[in-house]
Amino acid sequence: MDPWLDFTVIRNNLTYFFIGSYPHGNLGGVALTLYLAVTSCVISFVGGLILGLLSVSRHRAIRYPTLAVINTVRGVPLLMVIFWMYFLLPSLLGHPVPESRTVIAALALFTSAYMAEIVRAGVEGIPRGQTEAALATGLRPWQALVYVVLPQGLRNMLPSFVNQFVSLIKDTSLAYIVGVSELTQVATQVNNRSMVHPTEIFFFIAAVYFIICFTFTSISRRLESRLAWRKSI
Amino acid sequence: MTKLANLLLAIVILAALSTAAIAAGDTLAEIKRKGVLVAGVKDSLPPFGYIDEQTRRIVGYDVDFARAIADKLGVKLELKPVSSASRIPQLMERHIDIIVATTSNTPQRQQQIDFSYAYFFTVQKFLVKKGTVKSLADLEGKKIGTAKGSDSEQNASEALPSATILSFDDYPQAFLALQQGKIFAVTTDEAILAGIRQKAPNKEKFEIPDFQISDEAYGIAMRKGDSALRDFVNKTLLEMEASGQAKEIFEKWFGPQSATPMSRAFSITADK
Amino acid sequence: MFHYQFDWGIVTSGKYFEWLLSGLYTTVQLSAVSIVLAFLLGLIIAMMRMSRVLPVRWFAYGYLEFFRNTPLLVQMFFWYFGSYKLLPEAVNDVLAQTNFEFTAAVIALTIYTSAFIAEDIRSGVRSIPKEQMEAARSSGFSYIRAMQYVVLPQAIRITIPPLINQFLNLTKNSSLAMTIGVAELTYQARQVESYTFRGYEAFTAATLVYLALSLFITGLVNLYNKMVLMRMRGE
Repeated sequence: MDPWLDFTVIRNNLTYFFIGSYPHGNLGGVALTLYLAVTSCVISFVGGLILGLLSVSRHRAIRYPTLAVINTVRGVPLLMVIFWMYFLLPSLLGHPVPESRTVIAALALFTSAYMAEIVRAGVEGIPRGQTEAALATGLRPWQALVYVVLPQGLRNMLPSFVNQFVSLIKDTSLAYIVGVSELTQVATQVNNRSMVHPTEIFFFIAAVYFIICFTFTSISRRLESRLAWRKSI
Repeated sequence: MTKLANLLLAIVILAALSTAAIAAGDTLAEIKRKGVLVAGVKDSLPPFGYIDEQTRRIVGYDVDFARAIADKLGVKLELKPVSSASRIPQLMERHIDIIVATTSNTPQRQQQIDFSYAYFFTVQKFLVKKGTVKSLADLEGKKIGTAKGSDSEQNASEALPSATILSFDDYPQAFLALQQGKIFAVTTDEAILAGIRQKAPNKEKFEIPDFQISDEAYGIAMRKGDSALRDFVNKTLLEMEASGQAKEIFEKWFGPQSATPMSRAFSITADK
Repeated sequence: MFHYQFDWGIVTSGKYFEWLLSGLYTTVQLSAVSIVLAFLLGLIIAMMRMSRVLPVRWFAYGYLEFFRNTPLLVQMFFWYFGSYKLLPEAVNDVLAQTNFEFTAAVIALTIYTSAFIAEDIRSGVRSIPKEQMEAARSSGFSYIRAMQYVVLPQAIRITIPPLINQFLNLTKNSSLAMTIGVAELTYQARQVESYTFRGYEAFTAATLVYLALSLFITGLVNLYNKMVLMRMRGE
């Protein structure tokens, strides 16, 4: 192992790290990582909103089952959720499901449960007086929630949502386990072929993930301080 | 009255049988309809299936067989990377139509899936640091690496009950652990071990001692009851053997000019 | 749609049950060791992050941001496969004699979680009014002692709910150790699946065990909280 660290393996496979076999084959690498993260983020935003609102319902028959679902999902490792989707989805839908969709479904379900907690905390953070005032003007309870409480809550939740998106980007690496050729999988393929550069390869992809995630963490932090400033005036 | 009952029964049974036949046996028709054959192959196991650095596409011995079958069918070939652990679930869940991924034909697997005639023969051996192992006894109680869900894993734990079998996601990772001294040996089929050793930059430090723990015959795997597809694959394999195409593929990946020279001590026949 | 014959016997007794049980044992061991280490390391990093010495603070900042913003799986691969070239030969030889999969998993889980813990402790400390520190300093405590006896105990009490959350996350994250060959619960569930083709049974068993573990940890915390609160009221 003459040169101590040798980054030519990165240079030789740079295209592969970023776009996989595209355009002759499927999209992979960083591009697929971002695709997985963004798609599941959009789905889990909607899912989290619905679950979160249901979990603050005044009806126990709605609140308890919702909380049970949220806490069950939060109680198991993401890896388990992925395996479950892998086995369950095809039997439930009655047709094969591509692995990337399996992973998106698992990530979306998993993240929805976490988003729901953010929504719940956000809604509960709005003073009760607001709801009461809204009800006094003749709005129905759900209208008060959707038109009065939620819009204010959402603004406060924004930094947490961005943080959750960062977790999601990191979590896409688990797609490796079911063979989706996102960044981590692509790196393992290259590592398996070159065999003597694990240090360089894993350091490189760690740096790539870091740049992407740190960008969003910084955005979230900026949002947070802007919100704090807003509240102070 | 009994006549009518019998007739009804016969119709029901016939209907059940024919739907069963359609459900299980129409993969061939389905492939032709879609115009695509989806084959599960390994993506980091030279020379059977690995990503070519220049073209960024999967190539290898297994891939060439999958391609030959797709060509014969007159459809496009779509390759899906699978691991030893994921290939059978992938097939069962209909993610892929066939497995061409160094799958050994074993009685246990035959309960789950159907195999074609064998298209490659090898034996299970060990890859070790030079001079550390003379016989199987030297491996007793040692840490031995292999791949999750592989036949090699099960063979090794039977042959060496006292050893710790450590399963990685694929063989090259096990080899990396061997290189770094984290495990004592890697075990799997000789052809795979030779391919891995050949790719290693410090290959002179490793050897494959001359003893084996099992005979392996790789078959192309399909869902159980997919008889039309299996017959087609078998017919194609025999034709490839007769025309010399099978031998050509072997020479391409294992011939004297290849990275892993081996002699072809087998031919594809209908009795195995 | 669901023409599947369940066979629960496979995971409730016999060989495969033993596999799952040994997996649970490894999961608990791995999590317990890493939790203790992650807490201690997190405490140190948090202190460094609040240090008045600039290079120390910068180092802690870099540490926090880097390890929080990279996937645990990649870190695990890095420690298991990638640390080899960074370490001297002698250290590698010693490590190779140990159960290195387990060690690498502990290192990865500890470092990853410590970054989150440090951040939680820091926000706990920041929520303690500055006057407390000033009062302690003016009554003759050094900075370190004031931290140790006055600020930290209060900060940690505030930090307990998020800390427990991190411990829970760590326990769940320990499942990733299967990728480097640690035979923990998820690994064993997958082994049972590939030996018996009975994925539903194996994964149901593992899922229930994880849920029980989560409930157990949450329960412990609630108990602890109640006891602390009761003692505080008693005073």
